[in-house]
Amino acid sequence: MSEKVEELEAREEYEMTILDRVSDRIIDAFASFINIFKKDWRRRNQSKIKEWKLMAYAMNRSPPALLGLFIVIIYIILGIFGPYMAPWSYDFFPVNYNFSTQLAPPGSTYFLNVTTIENGYIVHYTTNIHYLLGSDVYGRDVVSILLAGARTAFVLDIFIILIGPTIGIILGLISGYYGGKVDETIMRITDMFLAFPGLILAIALSAVLPTRIQNFLNAHTWAQTLMLKLFALHARDVNNLGKLLAVFVALVIVWWPGYARVSRGSTLTEKENLYVEAARAVGLPTRTILFRHILPNIIGPILVMITMDFGGVILTEAGLSFLGLGAVPPIPDWGNLINQGSQYFPQAWWLVAFPGIVIVTVVLGWNLLGDGLRDVLDPRTRRSLEFKLKKKSKGGESSA
Amino acid sequence: MPEPIIEIKNLRVYFYTYAGVVKAIEDVSFNIYRGETLALVGETGCGKSVTSRALTQLIESPGRIVSGQVLYHRDDGSTVDLLKLNDEEIREIRGNEIAYIFQDPHSSLDPLYTVGYQIGEAMEVHGKVKNIKEGIGRAVNILREVLIPDPENRVRNYPHELSGGMKQRVVIGIGIANNPRLLIADEPTTALDVTVQAQILELINELKRKYNATVLLITHNLGVVAETAQRVVVMYAGKVAEIGSIDQIFHNPLHPYTVALLRAVPNPLKKIEKLESIPGTVPNLITPPKGCRFHPRCPFAEERCRKEVPELKEIEPGHWVACHRY
Repeated sequence: MSEKVEELEAREEYEMTILDRVSDRIIDAFASFINIFKKDWRRRNQSKIKEWKLMAYAMNRSPPALLGLFIVIIYIILGIFGPYMAPWSYDFFPVNYNFSTQLAPPGSTYFLNVTTIENGYIVHYTTNIHYLLGSDVYGRDVVSILLAGARTAFVLDIFIILIGPTIGIILGLISGYYGGKVDETIMRITDMFLAFPGLILAIALSAVLPTRIQNFLNAHTWAQTLMLKLFALHARDVNNLGKLLAVFVALVIVWWPGYARVSRGSTLTEKENLYVEAARAVGLPTRTILFRHILPNIIGPILVMITMDFGGVILTEAGLSFLGLGAVPPIPDWGNLINQGSQYFPQAWWLVAFPGIVIVTVVLGWNLLGDGLRDVLDPRTRRSLEFKLKKKSKGGESSA
Repeated sequence: MPEPIIEIKNLRVYFYTYAGVVKAIEDVSFNIYRGETLALVGETGCGKSVTSRALTQLIESPGRIVSGQVLYHRDDGSTVDLLKLNDEEIREIRGNEIAYIFQDPHSSLDPLYTVGYQIGEAMEVHGKVKNIKEGIGRAVNILREVLIPDPENRVRNYPHELSGGMKQRVVIGIGIANNPRLLIADEPTTALDVTVQAQILELINELKRKYNATVLLITHNLGVVAETAQRVVVMYAGKVAEIGSIDQIFHNPLHPYTVALLRAVPNPLKKIEKLESIPGTVPNLITPPKGCRFHPRCPFAEERCRKEVPELKEIEPGHWVACHRY
């Protein structure tokens, strides 16, 4: 009964667009999905579901955020399936079979007479290779490298964002909560990291680390297989992993201080709330107070920062590869492609232009999404967005 | 002879701020007897809350418990000094044997969890229930005990969905969840409107009887004291001014501060031109006045008051006062 009334209210207040209906469907489907596992979940969390729907409406009214979301979804799909969608393998070098495929311009097609060894047999076959976006120095298809490179960027992106902010948030929480000497120590170390420009520190680290990481990988086969699977690389690229992972470690080390600062600041204000003291008076251990009560209350701005940093990591990683650190050919990588192209610019402009466009698009997508999320997550701006929604429907009524 | 549950002896709490050392609590000693309701009264900033928090080491940096003893007599006859326990041991006592009810129900609940979860969490941390889910089930009974209507559904509400009075009932529910021996109510009615205040006090009294608990009631509302407490401790500027039973304090106040405090309560039966107040302000506790801390505002102040710190003296059985006049 009350459910129906609430639904009617929602219909009256907000003018529904197709997108609203789609987002409603998705949220309803998600709710029913959880309902399968947790009995009665949907009924008990009615208000939460309604809140999500309202967030979605607010998001739907913001075209940039939607564009960002769209780009990000495409990026994630390519990040997972990109290497399998690529028409040519990243380590197939057409230049070995037809020298003129080197730096082939976009739209050209070449004939290949391939001789390879497969399962111990020498195999001959002929094929045509069409370069939609041109080829690189090794005659590799730029489309294929971009698709396969999406995985490299995506994996680095996810893991750096998973590890870096986690370290930062934990340190920030501890620092803000305990205060005093603990705070001073942690924050001064953070300051030391912040004093170096992130990129410079990352350059220094990725110059030092590769051999150590490579040695570790060579000693542990499980780590080798894991990394090869993660980056969707072939076994013969094992020796190139060291440099790639050096960038990963360097970026993790560079990425936490910002989060430590932000979460410390939020913790400082949040811990003054009486419920933190009440939690202490109830006898909760400090770690429970930190992670169960303070963290969820400060996660809003951190979430936005994380979304923005997904783009930032891609950019920094591409920057490092462009400088010749990080991924080395034949590992597919956007920044590395630009690095190659810079030597043949402007003749082979496609080597710089297309990876550049891809990087800019993805970074822009994450930033737009982050911006939109900030508006949606901040109750004040969201209320104003919802207010606009109501107004619209009133206008519609009067005109009708 | 009533037996004490808590003996506070020479408690000192200082706050080390940039401006200097704030001597918030200086040589405070009093007993809380088993089964009574003891009221701790005084002006804002006189150290009532700090005293109550010091009992379970809840003083936060820059504050520090400098010296003193808080002897806690358990039901089984054993005695511990609460100030000597380590973090882990004091955690066992907080919320379990000694529970708090805080002043502002609007901010003493975490906005992100249902009230049932928060009650369940309080039980789970002391091992009264296996997990929070089971605790939420038990929370229904607790909400019923604190007289919340429709507890089966309220248990799933978030704090913002409840009114102030309801929230304070939930906070009380968290307080009694583990059946504490001592319930410290720190101005439990300040943030509520008058009709709800009476209900909440009645509820605390009833729960106290039911669970046979002891209550330390902190307030600056003397009406509340007269209604609910059996004994009163009057504090001024971080020191105990007077201790006595309700009768002794209200009918035979000895300390000039207590007298002035009682006179400041408007009497609806008397017609007066303006409200009485105590002249002057609470002294700065970084450099407290020498001698008796009340002397700058005391109408009876003599030369001796400016030099010597008055000791607590027992004037009649159970009636103690710290003043040179007696």
